[in-house]
Amino acid sequence: MPRIFFATDLHGSETCWRKFLNAAKFYEADILICGGDMTGKAIIPIIEENGHFTYTLGGDPQVVAAAEVVEVETQIRRKGYYPLRVSPTRLAELDQNAEVRGDVFRQVMLEGVKRWMELADEKLGGTGVRVFVCPGNDDEFEVDDVIRSSKLVELGEGRLIDIAGFTMISTGWANPTPWNTHREESEERLSERIEAMASQIKDLSRAIFNLHTPPYRSGLDEAPAIDADLRLLHGGRALRPVGSKAVRDAIDRYQPMLSLHGHVHEGKGAVTLGKTLCINPGSAYEEGMLMAAIVNLDAAKGVKSYQLVNG
Amino acid sequence: MADTTMSPPGTGGSAAGARPSLFLRNATGLVKAWSTFDAFVYAFWSVNLITLGLYGMSFVYTVPDGQLLVAILLFGVLTTFLVITYAMLVSVMPRTGGDYAWQSRVLGGGLGFVLSITGWWFTLFLWAPIYANILNAQFFLPLAYTLGWSNVATFFTSASGLFISCLIVLAFVSVVVTLGMETYARIQKICFWIGLVGLAVVCGLLLFASQSDFHSAFNREAASLFGASGDAYQKTIDAGTKAGYAPHDFGFFSLGPVFLLLPWLAFYLLWPNWGATLYGEVRGAKDIRKPFWSMFWGLWVTIAMVAVVMILVVKTMGWQFYNAANAAFYAGTAPVGTWPYPVMFAGWLVDSHLFQALLIVVMGLWFFGWAGTLFLSSTRVIFAAAFDRVLPAWAANISAKRRVPYGSLVLMIVPSIIISAIYSYVPKFQSVFLDATAVLAVTFLATVVAAIILPWRRKDLYDASPIARYKVAGIPTITVVAVITAIFLLFMLYEWSFNSSNLYGTAFQSTLNSVYYFLATYVVAIVIYVVARIVRKNQGIDLARIHHEIPVE
Repeated sequence: MPRIFFATDLHGSETCWRKFLNAAKFYEADILICGGDMTGKAIIPIIEENGHFTYTLGGDPQVVAAAEVVEVETQIRRKGYYPLRVSPTRLAELDQNAEVRGDVFRQVMLEGVKRWMELADEKLGGTGVRVFVCPGNDDEFEVDDVIRSSKLVELGEGRLIDIAGFTMISTGWANPTPWNTHREESEERLSERIEAMASQIKDLSRAIFNLHTPPYRSGLDEAPAIDADLRLLHGGRALRPVGSKAVRDAIDRYQPMLSLHGHVHEGKGAVTLGKTLCINPGSAYEEGMLMAAIVNLDAAKGVKSYQLVNG
Repeated sequence: MADTTMSPPGTGGSAAGARPSLFLRNATGLVKAWSTFDAFVYAFWSVNLITLGLYGMSFVYTVPDGQLLVAILLFGVLTTFLVITYAMLVSVMPRTGGDYAWQSRVLGGGLGFVLSITGWWFTLFLWAPIYANILNAQFFLPLAYTLGWSNVATFFTSASGLFISCLIVLAFVSVVVTLGMETYARIQKICFWIGLVGLAVVCGLLLFASQSDFHSAFNREAASLFGASGDAYQKTIDAGTKAGYAPHDFGFFSLGPVFLLLPWLAFYLLWPNWGATLYGEVRGAKDIRKPFWSMFWGLWVTIAMVAVVMILVVKTMGWQFYNAANAAFYAGTAPVGTWPYPVMFAGWLVDSHLFQALLIVVMGLWFFGWAGTLFLSSTRVIFAAAFDRVLPAWAANISAKRRVPYGSLVLMIVPSIIISAIYSYVPKFQSVFLDATAVLAVTFLATVVAAIILPWRRKDLYDASPIARYKVAGIPTITVVAVITAIFLLFMLYEWSFNSSNLYGTAFQSTLNSVYYFLATYVVAIVIYVVARIVRKNQGIDLARIHHEIPVE
């Protein structure tokens, strides 16, 4: 019976994406699901000046020769950032002009996703492994088009997909966050979005909800409390539930056999809500560690077993 | 979803006049750094000067020729290496579960489970009665004596009174866990500030009173509250000397005995890293400076305070009186038949029982601002083990309405009640409780060993971390500081286990009950792991692969 490997919130970490693809062979998984938020959050400029290159990666500025820049770019990508070679003039322009900066971000992100799709084709083409990606609230809409153009990777957003006799619905949309990201909407709209898919499922005992946002007050949605100025409260120890009530309602109402989530990196765990096993494998993309869930499905039992791994 | 940001979201990363080193886009989780002060408060409570501190130092009379201030400074320096080691581990792997996560990922799942679960789960049972003992000694008993409630005082000195105190501690801890850390963090801050005011009053009383003032006040209250006749101050010194305390001047210095004081000081100064099991919930922990400075200042502010308090105690109460009072109390021959609580004694400098009671209540906030976190780290370790499927999934269950981690609470509270009953009603088992510090030190040692080999054993994680650039003579700094920490911990473990005169009451040759108990906990941990592996294997889950790294290429 099929074995699912689910990871999420890779946020541009090329190391994690490579591990994600290699997990098919490593864990003998038949289906790989990436739960969303594929794209990175930051650009690291590599400033070209007088024949040498300067960059800063979590410490003091480093100066390297031209021959070393490719290796530096690889390092930066592996940590989930986008390297960008710039002149001092271009750097100043990016610093001052938000519009230009936004365009550059979009360009490097889409190039990154395109490269990931090519990697997937290269590594898993012809293996029979199915790969699903459902962009999350941090992913811009253009990402969907890049995924659609992939030969191997299938886009999950808004679709009912048959996986060896099980039905999966997916959305990367989230309830509102303080960051006002790309795929956010009210709980009511999110509820309608899920409803539109869930209501079409014929056998809910064989249904998989792949919803980026975890259910509200499930323990999978506990994030450090922040104030209005986005500052962590109480040394980051105070946790608050930030999940979606719409997702929670949908799970409570439809009771699928399995519900896969991400979004809250600190919310690693697995809980049972009624008949539904809900999993958030968490994320440690910055460390290059792929936190994931392996779920063994069984035709009779539905979810036979699951395991959270740190690969 | 939360990350630390080096610059405001959606903007360039430049400060005025500086070049930007990164550009951030608007994305979930880009939060501003957490306050080091908030984390400092947590570390400060963990090395609690009043509760654990005064209690731990009531045993230093057993090393009469040990210079206390030098020992405290030395302990501070050596524990700083522990702080650096833990801060670096937090920086490499800021994962909830702390010791369990680090040991599992570096040493292996089975070893990590056994070593960390014995420390953070099984041994924490023992800390509930220790906390209750402190609650009795520093709150219920002095308050009851001061208010003249002799029946209440008598009850709390009985086995049942001690057991009730244990239940009060467990109930308080459960309430705190139920309220959640956000509410308790607020309570902690209130306790912190009011407790500091109380400490300032205690210090002020000791500063402005002379030793003869204290002598008179002690005799007055010893007679009034405890019915002691004559010169109770001198009688206390005599009783202490008779109990075996060999008086030395406070300024006496000899190097060897200083080292013998370290295992006593560990009772309160070894825990600035207590919150390290929680740092997984703080994405800002990826920056080594935050966890380091919070733990560092928690440790060193306490050291500075304890130095001031002890100097004032020596000045006003007298070093020989302080030690003799403790020696006589533990021998059961003191004219004042309650634990020599320096706060209560300082209060006696004011001839008002109402003031004295108020001071005890205010200083009691040092207990209530601290005790609530007793099981917080344990619940996180249990969560981590449950997520790894070593423990059943229900161990990590949280109630839907109030988000109470009832699974882990049950796993902590039920055994704690049984252990508390044994502690209260079976005195011959009390030596087991003296080992509570040592077993946690074993857990720390395992983490420190993991830190030593981390750069080679998990090269991928280490190389990707911000600490990879720190080296001493070409050797990774984490390895160097962890080796120093390991030597420090091994020294104390040796003294606890093999001190020929059983100085700490924990030497193997004299406390076979403890040896059997702790061996049993390790055996139980091994059995749980082996059973989990077999059960999970039947479910198609291989526990060995949890931490196996997937190839990148």
